[in-house]
Amino acid sequence: MTLLLSLLLLGGFGCGKAPPIVVDNSGFPALSGRVVDGADLLSPAQEARLSSKSEALEKEVGPQYVVVTLPSLHGRPIGEYGVDLGRHWGIGHRGRNDGLLLIVAPAERKVRIEVGYGLERRVTDPFAARVISEQALPNFKVGRFPEGIEAATDALVNRLRSKSTDAEIRQADGVVT
Amino acid sequence: MKRTSLMTVFLVPVAAVSLSGCGVNSIPTAEEAAKARWADVQAAYQRRANLIPNLVSTVRGAAASEERILTRVTQARADATRVTVSPEQLSDPAAMQRYADAQNRLSASIIPLQRLQEAYPTLQSQANFGTLMSQLESTENRINITIRDYNTAVQSYNTTIRTFPAVIGAKVIYGAKPMATFQATTPNADVAPEVNFDTNTGA
Repeated sequence: MTLLLSLLLLGGFGCGKAPPIVVDNSGFPALSGRVVDGADLLSPAQEARLSSKSEALEKEVGPQYVVVTLPSLHGRPIGEYGVDLGRHWGIGHRGRNDGLLLIVAPAERKVRIEVGYGLERRVTDPFAARVISEQALPNFKVGRFPEGIEAATDALVNRLRSKSTDAEIRQADGVVT
Repeated sequence: MKRTSLMTVFLVPVAAVSLSGCGVNSIPTAEEAAKARWADVQAAYQRRANLIPNLVSTVRGAAASEERILTRVTQARADATRVTVSPEQLSDPAAMQRYADAQNRLSASIIPLQRLQEAYPTLQSQANFGTLMSQLESTENRINITIRDYNTAVQSYNTTIRTFPAVIGAKVIYGAKPMATFQATTPNADVAPEVNFDTNTGA
């Protein structure tokens, strides 16, 4: 009787924690470095150059910048995929949320800049849109992926190195909300 | 006989520890998490509401004859900002539905506004319009992400209050009710121009 009761109690109270957010990570590539060239768009020299820009940025300013090219979005919207990828990788420093992702999916012909909450005042929505339309797209449309990625990277890194205040950036970018 | 009493003594603390460790306390934690995610959803929708007056006045400058579309957006925005869901109402599916309906009407009213850029090239050439549209698109992406996060948090909370022994705490101590998930039509899913290398719009 006591044995039965103890089994019941132990079984019953061995309550598992609620499962963590289920992320289907089958489609996520491994975070192998600051440049994850899954779609094979970059030469080793270009990768090295981008990596060193990201490394210098983190060392001198703080934010973590990662470039990722993807062979496939697995049928998902790039906005959703990008957020999940950023969270899965844990880009940016805990507490500061200062991760920045440039995502290029040549098969779906999509590009996106995913900004950690902590950087939204620096890399604003209008600025990110402008980097895509002015730096990335003109190059991507003619197949110049490395040039587009590098131009977008330079614009983003310059912005993160900018000495302007949040208020100045807000006004210059025309941020409403 | 002696063995029995020993085991009973051993078992009681185990049960007590388990109950406080992961049963009862997990309910307020999961509840607070879901409420925080709901606050994110409302903040994202509020961000969209804040953009609309600027968008409307920019469009009015370039396409004054489209007053009907603008009036409809303005009206839908006013209606939507009047409907809110307090944390206590999260277990009320009808309140959630009213909120979703109001936001969905606003989403629908924005679609013709976005299409105006094709009819009025002067709009597209206005830097201000592009700036506002890029913020609208980002905000709508944010809305979708916050809704997904909220629904995940609600599922976790609902699982917690239905799982033994948290269910004991749920019934006896907190009177916890399951929360409702949120179902909105994806804002402008059909027209929200994801940036595409092939097109000149939507960047």
